[in-house]
Amino acid sequence: MNRVKSSIDKKQVVAATGLFLILFVVAHLAGNLFIYGGPEAFNGYARKLAGLRPGLYFVEAALLAVFLVHLDATARLVLENLRARPVGYRQGHSAAGGSFASRLMPWTGAAIVAFVIWHLRDLTFVDRAGPAGILPDGRGYGLFGVVYNSLGNPVHGVLYIAAMLAVGTHLSHGIQSFIQTFGLVGEHRLPAVRRVSNGLGILIALAYSSIPVYVQLSFGAFK
Amino acid sequence: MAKTINLTLHVWRQKGTQDKGRFEVYKAEGIDTDMSFLEMLDVVNERLIKEGKEPVAFDHDCREGICGACGAVVNGRPHGPMDKTTLCQLHMRRFKDNDTITIEPWRARGFPVVKDLVVDRSAFDQIMAAGGFISVKTGSAPEANTVPVRRQDAETAMDAAACIGCGACVAACPNASAMLFVGAKVSHFGLLPQGRVEAKERVRGMVARMDAEGFGNCSNHYECEAACPKGISVSTIARMNREYLSSELAE
Ligand code: HEM
Ligand code: FES
Repeated sequence: MNRVKSSIDKKQVVAATGLFLILFVVAHLAGNLFIYGGPEAFNGYARKLAGLRPGLYFVEAALLAVFLVHLDATARLVLENLRARPVGYRQGHSAAGGSFASRLMPWTGAAIVAFVIWHLRDLTFVDRAGPAGILPDGRGYGLFGVVYNSLGNPVHGVLYIAAMLAVGTHLSHGIQSFIQTFGLVGEHRLPAVRRVSNGLGILIALAYSSIPVYVQLSFGAFK
Repeated sequence: MAKTINLTLHVWRQKGTQDKGRFEVYKAEGIDTDMSFLEMLDVVNERLIKEGKEPVAFDHDCREGICGACGAVVNGRPHGPMDKTTLCQLHMRRFKDNDTITIEPWRARGFPVVKDLVVDRSAFDQIMAAGGFISVKTGSAPEANTVPVRRQDAETAMDAAACIGCGACVAACPNASAMLFVGAKVSHFGLLPQGRVEAKERVRGMVARMDAEGFGNCSNHYECEAACPKGISVSTIARMNREYLSSELAE
């Protein structure tokens, strides 16, 4: 980390860790969509994933480290940016088309931190074989049951969707940002990159949000 | 017949770098709409001088949009409401009778206010001195065709060279970042064969100086590009990032 000194170094770190986190968000989404296949498919996927241990521990440790490095680097950048304008303008104005996603990065990021803590306590660090996995029909459904019991609760469902909006908004700016930060495209392709980035952000938020909606609609089948 | 309008100005007044500064309200009456924004300020200043008051200090030189000396944030936009136009080239016909106009200096730690609307932009000179040049032996001009330049590179380098160093990019950036300025200079020199020789030291040196001068970090809001009177593209920032990365990988 000694070599990460300049502004551009820090930006490259944010972009590289951000890209890693995007890959995780997409892979995690693909896994979650097994919920549409019912209890067998979903739990089967979870078992396969668990079968990858102990290798999976390395991936999880790397993910945690990347997450913390992203937090650290973005916090430094945000603080430096605040210091760079000690006296603000009386009248603000955006001429760049007013992308609210870019201005909200620190806030959507903070929402993601809060969500991740809640999410891990809610779904990961629970005893799947215990009562948390038992649905109203009295049978144990393992991890599938845990997900249904949690997201079947309307308050949880709404919070989950709100968090996914934060993720989608973060990514709508984040995807185009890492491409610009790595300097991957020139002037002519940048508008297209921005459109694709916004589209992917919305798509990812919608795909994740479909899960609590589906759980609510199909919860009755387990009564 | 020339049309005239009356305006209310909220102008930032600050005696010196140490002064806290404040807004003061002035009337600008009977302003000819064919005047430029700076001429309108001249009219206000003449009145202030007659009244025995201190005129509003502002920077200007060419008044034809090419030197980069002028600039103030007008109603929240550097150089005012017209795209790709310096403040000296902004005309009062862009405003309506009885408009209220807020006029503020560039606000950035790297650009301390000297007086009123005048800021110290020597940070840009320091950045230029850290690599914004090419070292060549002087003498008679070499034969023009000995160093071929791709047409596209020549065009893109010229686009970047349009930067007049006014600082509107810094003023517009929510983070007061100077990366569009540095990106423009890195592109302008680095795209040409004469500039490639020192490309690595240039980008390292200029970025280090930019950081040391207290400018913020780009987070890709692209307000700079929208504010730039010369339409410098944010792809120059992408090029600077790329050059910086490759200079580090080459170590
Ligand atoms: C699912 C997790 C996350 C993903 C996929 C992600 C992805 C990204 C990406 C791709 C970028 C753009 C990098 C660039 O500028 O080139 C970014 C920027 C940023 N992220 Fe995240 N991020 C995540 C979580 C977080 C968290 C937890 C925070 C902190 C609270 C955060 C705060 C920020 C901030 C402030 C920026 C803008 C930095 C700047 O350019 O000034 N992110 N993120
Ligand atoms: S005074 Fe020279 S650009 Fe405006």
